[in-house]
Amino acid sequence: MPYALFQSGIKICIMNLKEQTNKLTERVGKRGSRWTGLLLILVAVAFLQIISLVQAYYAHKGILSEAQTKAESQLNSIKSGILNVVNQAESAVRNNVWLAQWSLQVPDSLANIPKLIVNNNPIVAGSTIAMVPNYYKKRPLYSPYTAITNGEIIETSLATEEYDYPSQEWFTKPIELDRGYWSEPYIDTGGGEILMTTYSVPVKDNSGRIAAVLTADIDLEWLKTLVNDIKIYPGSFSTVVSRTGRLMVSPEDSLIMNTTIDEYASKVKDTASFNALNRAMLGRKSGNIQVTHNGKKNMVYYTHIDKTGWAMNIIIPESEMFAGLNRLNNLIRLLQLLGLLLIVLIFRSIAKSQLRLKYISEKKEKMENELKIASDIQMSMIPKTFPPFPERKDIDLSAALVPAKEVSGDLYDFFIRDEKLFFCIGDVSGKGVPASLLMAVTRSLFRSVSAHNDNPQEIVSTMNNSLSDMNESNMFVTFICCVLDLKSGKMQYCNAGHNAPLILTDKMSELPVNPNLPLGVLRYWEYTVQDVTLHYDDAIFLYTDGITEAENPNHELFGIERLKHTLSGRKAAQAHLDNVKRAVAGFVKEAPQSDDLTMLFFHYLNDSIQGSREITLENNINEIHKLEKFISKVADDAQLTESAKSCLNLAMEEAVTNAILYSGSPTVEVTARTGNDDITFTITDSGKPFDPTAAPDVDINKDALERPIGGLGIHLYMKIMDSVTYERRDNRNILTLTKKIDKNSIQK
Amino acid sequence: MKTKVTKEEGKITIAFIGRLDTPAAQEANPVINELMEDADKTIIIECKDMEYISSSGLRIFLTLRKAAEEKKGKVIIQNINDDIRSVFMMTGFLNLFEIR
Repeated sequence: MPYALFQSGIKICIMNLKEQTNKLTERVGKRGSRWTGLLLILVAVAFLQIISLVQAYYAHKGILSEAQTKAESQLNSIKSGILNVVNQAESAVRNNVWLAQWSLQVPDSLANIPKLIVNNNPIVAGSTIAMVPNYYKKRPLYSPYTAITNGEIIETSLATEEYDYPSQEWFTKPIELDRGYWSEPYIDTGGGEILMTTYSVPVKDNSGRIAAVLTADIDLEWLKTLVNDIKIYPGSFSTVVSRTGRLMVSPEDSLIMNTTIDEYASKVKDTASFNALNRAMLGRKSGNIQVTHNGKKNMVYYTHIDKTGWAMNIIIPESEMFAGLNRLNNLIRLLQLLGLLLIVLIFRSIAKSQLRLKYISEKKEKMENELKIASDIQMSMIPKTFPPFPERKDIDLSAALVPAKEVSGDLYDFFIRDEKLFFCIGDVSGKGVPASLLMAVTRSLFRSVSAHNDNPQEIVSTMNNSLSDMNESNMFVTFICCVLDLKSGKMQYCNAGHNAPLILTDKMSELPVNPNLPLGVLRYWEYTVQDVTLHYDDAIFLYTDGITEAENPNHELFGIERLKHTLSGRKAAQAHLDNVKRAVAGFVKEAPQSDDLTMLFFHYLNDSIQGSREITLENNINEIHKLEKFISKVADDAQLTESAKSCLNLAMEEAVTNAILYSGSPTVEVTARTGNDDITFTITDSGKPFDPTAAPDVDINKDALERPIGGLGIHLYMKIMDSVTYERRDNRNILTLTKKIDKNSIQK
Repeated sequence: MKTKVTKEEGKITIAFIGRLDTPAAQEANPVINELMEDADKTIIIECKDMEYISSSGLRIFLTLRKAAEEKKGKVIIQNINDDIRSVFMMTGFLNLFEIR
């Protein structure tokens, strides 16, 4: 049973669908373009790094420039503090040189000058006027000295054997240079360990000879305070070195005056770095240099005081200088990391949803493909080659099915069997796959039932019973089945709830149909059959309501009037269908197709090239002469041999003679249709009923005396014709006689 | 359709010329009725120029045959063409008549 097969087919289909849906949810996210994601993240990282490098570069530059500005301003401030003291000291000494010059004449008065200097200048801790040895013959060494220690003024002399002032630097250098000179700083042990320096100026007598050196000792303890107070960064510090590079001020007291930068450089690991610093600072220049100490980098800003030959610097550990920046950088990195994490998360979720989307769309594509295949299979079930019977001149038939979805619930079918054209159209309730499966079942049923039955009523009833039997889904099919006898033009049809077809004769009208019930609704419903006789050039248009109920965007229906208008005029079947499709498409415009469009156009044509012939004979036996001429023409149309013509004439004469002589009908109509391989005659009279096919045949083997005179005519035409059928319709006898034309009966 | 009756000693020849269709058979009825009176003789049906025969024609032959049987006469059909022969065959007439 095809239906049982389709039932199991439906179940398998549904199970597959469920399985695929489950797999779909399980497998989402397993595949994907991880490389793309990785690349994206790498690009993002690189981009962020570039941004932070640029930012760090400019921040670094800004910080350096700020530090330099700060350091230089501090150095200048220290420098001006030092110069203030230095200038005071220099003034204190110079202002008394003239007094010393003047006092050379009175050696004893010379001792007043240091006293004067110390008393008048608080910054001067001690002063002497040291005579060039042997300037005074009586006093070969003479150097009266005044110092202030702990607020107490002490007068003493430096001309002692132990001290040997003439060999001291503060004495020799000014004489040698013949100008004021600042001595190397030194630690004075006289009144506690005090860092001091001495400014000495040569004093010349009236003859211009250097007679003595006038000095002022300056206490440098204030310098420490001045320098150490400066802290532009918490870890920054300053040093001051003498012209020989000896440390005068340093955060490490032990180093003060005990070492030079040079010596320090030789002790530490970072010798090269310190040597560079040494060179820079002793080069009497201002500037900055990077110095590495214990693996840590420091920025050193330095400047120089020309008068004293001192150099001083500010040392800033870079770790401190850039501490803020580093903190900022770390914060930025942290934020970047968080951002990246966020990007990764976002990407992952996007990737996940994209994967899902991709998977779903792949799945969808696959299902669409399967639907496409289903659609192809479905379409292959209905005849699609047009013209379907190219060898037949009496049939111009075309059909079309335009599904609204991938698969359709509509169907049409047609075929020829025993010179009968079977055709049908149907519309399954609902849409989509379920409707399409039922459509397939219906079509199969139609084919199998109509293979051995040519009564539309029985075909439809059998189909209905089968469909009702197994209709679990409560779906139904509207259906109309037509069987046309191509020889006689008689068409029987049975409607099962389908809309009425259009019949196109000299006018266009709806074929009267009994509504009946659709297939599959009620078992054993008694369907009624109807009939109509088609004449040559008549046409039948079967369609589903998808056409008349096609909706435009304004929700107006295409309607039957538009359909009738579209079908007007005589055209080829295919042209009619194309016109209807175009008209519907033009009507609905952009509105989506809501239902399948299915239609079948059948045009009943005169099948012979020669044309059919018909003749009406009066009830007079001499009309047989007209018949003879008529048959002669028909036979000539078919190019029959004289012998075949004679034979055909005999049969027809016998049949028509009987109608003329015995029916009592005033007229007898004879039509002849010449097909490709047969000639069909119909003899119609309105006389009393007589079925010659039911009459007893004569026994041709009887003896002459026993043989009846009559009955030979029927026997003859029954013998000669290949088929003879009788029908009583509308109070008329209709006798149809067909003679096959074989090649022996055609003229060579 | 014409009929030509030739009477000789002991035998009568009737020739059918043309088509022996139903109207022709009806037309020929008087001739045949006349001929029936001579059914005790040998009746030769000459078909040399007969083109066609319908069942009405056959009925004439059969009528003559029956009359001859009753009156101890004889009916001979001669010179039938192939088409008529096949009609005879279909109707069993080949066995009812002496055909030359």
